[in-house]
Amino acid sequence: MQLTSEIFSSPTQAIHTGGGHLFWSGNISESLKNSIAEFGQSAPVLVYNGEQGPTLAAGSARLAVLAELGRPVLARMIEGADDVSLGLLYLADNAHRQIDDAMRFKTLQYFAPLLDTADLEQDILPRLGVRPKSKDARLLLDWLGLPGPWQELLGRGTLPLAAGMVLARMDDADRDAVMPLFADMAWSRSNAVNVLTWLYEAARMAGTPVAEVMDKAGMSALLGQGLSPKDAIARLCATARQARHPELTRLRERFDAAARTVTGGTGWKLFQPDNFETNGAELSVRIKDRAQLAQAVEELHGMADNPAWETVFRPGGDND
Amino acid sequence: MTNLPTHLRKIGQVFVDESMTDTPVALRVRSRLAEGGRADIPWTVIPPDQDRVVFDRGETQAVYLKEYKGRFLRFCPGTRAYHCCGYRIIHIGENCPMACSYCILQAYFQDRVLKVWANQDDLFRELADGFGADRDTRYRVGTGEFTDSLALEHLTGYSRDLVHFLEDYDNVVLELKSKVVDLTWMDGTTRTDRVLPAWSLNAPFINEHEEFGVSTLTERLEAARTCAEAGFKVCLHFDPIIRFDGWREGYAEIIDRIFDYVKPEQIAYMSLGSFRCMPQLNPIIEDKFPETTYIYNEFVPGLDGKARLLRPLRVEQFQFMVDRLRAHGMEEQLYFCMESTEVWNEVFGYAPKDFGGLGKRLMGRAFGE
Repeated sequence: MQLTSEIFSSPTQAIHTGGGHLFWSGNISESLKNSIAEFGQSAPVLVYNGEQGPTLAAGSARLAVLAELGRPVLARMIEGADDVSLGLLYLADNAHRQIDDAMRFKTLQYFAPLLDTADLEQDILPRLGVRPKSKDARLLLDWLGLPGPWQELLGRGTLPLAAGMVLARMDDADRDAVMPLFADMAWSRSNAVNVLTWLYEAARMAGTPVAEVMDKAGMSALLGQGLSPKDAIARLCATARQARHPELTRLRERFDAAARTVTGGTGWKLFQPDNFETNGAELSVRIKDRAQLAQAVEELHGMADNPAWETVFRPGGDND
Repeated sequence: MTNLPTHLRKIGQVFVDESMTDTPVALRVRSRLAEGGRADIPWTVIPPDQDRVVFDRGETQAVYLKEYKGRFLRFCPGTRAYHCCGYRIIHIGENCPMACSYCILQAYFQDRVLKVWANQDDLFRELADGFGADRDTRYRVGTGEFTDSLALEHLTGYSRDLVHFLEDYDNVVLELKSKVVDLTWMDGTTRTDRVLPAWSLNAPFINEHEEFGVSTLTERLEAARTCAEAGFKVCLHFDPIIRFDGWREGYAEIIDRIFDYVKPEQIAYMSLGSFRCMPQLNPIIEDKFPETTYIYNEFVPGLDGKARLLRPLRVEQFQFMVDRLRAHGMEEQLYFCMESTEVWNEVFGYAPKDFGGLGKRLMGRAFGE
């Protein structure tokens, strides 16, 4: 493929705009609109002779803006284009753009049927700012193996790239079980990865399908309670964490209840700092003058005899 | 047709530093590979200006006979957050030909190169300087930290050389810790009171599902009996103890079997250590051992940053095992590898400070006091 020196002006409607190689088209910035309206088109779009005549190779945003303004488009002809070189040219023409994971994945989706995995990793990923063999490289390639509906969620930004690793380890039945969690709610990276990991690992440990873990934990019922997305995600995360760490959750609940009993009505906070690896607890209070210091000391004195301290130190009881 | 031990049959390449080609270890490896029907294994000499080898041929393993420039005598990399047994390491090589899913060496050494420090003269010189400086200072040392003490013994005869060298050092006890059976080192020493042959044990389920290329539990116990009958005290180690469905029955079975082979008084000491690992080991286990599920137990970051089973869960296992071992007459032989004062007190009812420190106790037991 080569860029020719043939540059011509054409009505926008004469340029065909189909083709998967325009994988990032659709987002048109206000600054581009304003620039073209004020100064005109500064760089030609790239076209090739396709089966339906002149076909756009790169420049879909410029073409759309010019069409909206009712102006002709300045185009440069390319020759000898195949699907791979069209994709590479599109990437090169859009090298200035800030790209996110969804855009990287759309690029890989385009090239995946055309190149083998080694070429994707060694040639395409570096063009997207991803080092071969890196964690992000593995994640992006993992996503290619996931079913279409999941790829669509990533493309929509509903799911983060990092969720791909655990989704790739699940089988179809397990993925089907967790799909409803993501159908209508946009998850943060940490929440999505955590909830999927907890469910997958709890199921592996128990030797049961993920659906069974979710049912036992009451997660499926939670989805039907009409909670706000924020509340629903918080509850789902807490429930999945409990399914994955039942004993740790039990200890935390007992500790927190005892801590509230000990510190209730005071300014002191009490927490367990090391996942119950020791019997220790940490007390803290925030003060800003001597009067508050005196009050904190008095409160501390009053707390000292509280019988709930025994649970603070040994939340597991005699079996600790 | 090879007649090498099973765990050495993946070896398909030898590298040797140019300066090490005529060392006793190199000559021995060459002749023993030939005796084992593997004279065909290619040898590559590494020139002095090359400091490492890259070897990636699938499952095939390489032996690298290397001139080691670092310290041979080291401290065990314990942590102050937990009670360390205080043993010293004689560094004879790195990596292991066997495959145990839980092994930390997978994270340390992410290749299939089995390194052997072939400059034994340097090793013995350093040990002589260290052990000979003050004959009243006692040392409890072992070679099983960065490799299995006996895994390559069939080829290298390393431990046999070492026990022979240490015959002159009354102030040193050497522990040879392994998961294979190779007793060819035994005729290298007359000091049955200064060598502690040691084997790792585990529940039969773990042995069958998580340890590959190793000797069976029965073979290890038979070897322990052979050593005990020859006058050696032996060490047995339950590390890592793993939580799985049926762990009570599994650990009860192996504990009871021990005493069909050796008596408590023939055991110098026995460690118990719960599975713990650096966080980077988990993805390695997931990749290499996809059937493994124990890594999905309730692990939390420990005081040393390693993932550990939640304390009440491991205390439950320790209590069960210690009760069972006590019923067989074990008490002072028992210790925890890298556990806290809280866990010692909960399980044993005392902590190392109550008997003068763990290192001191084990030193005494190693020297037969």
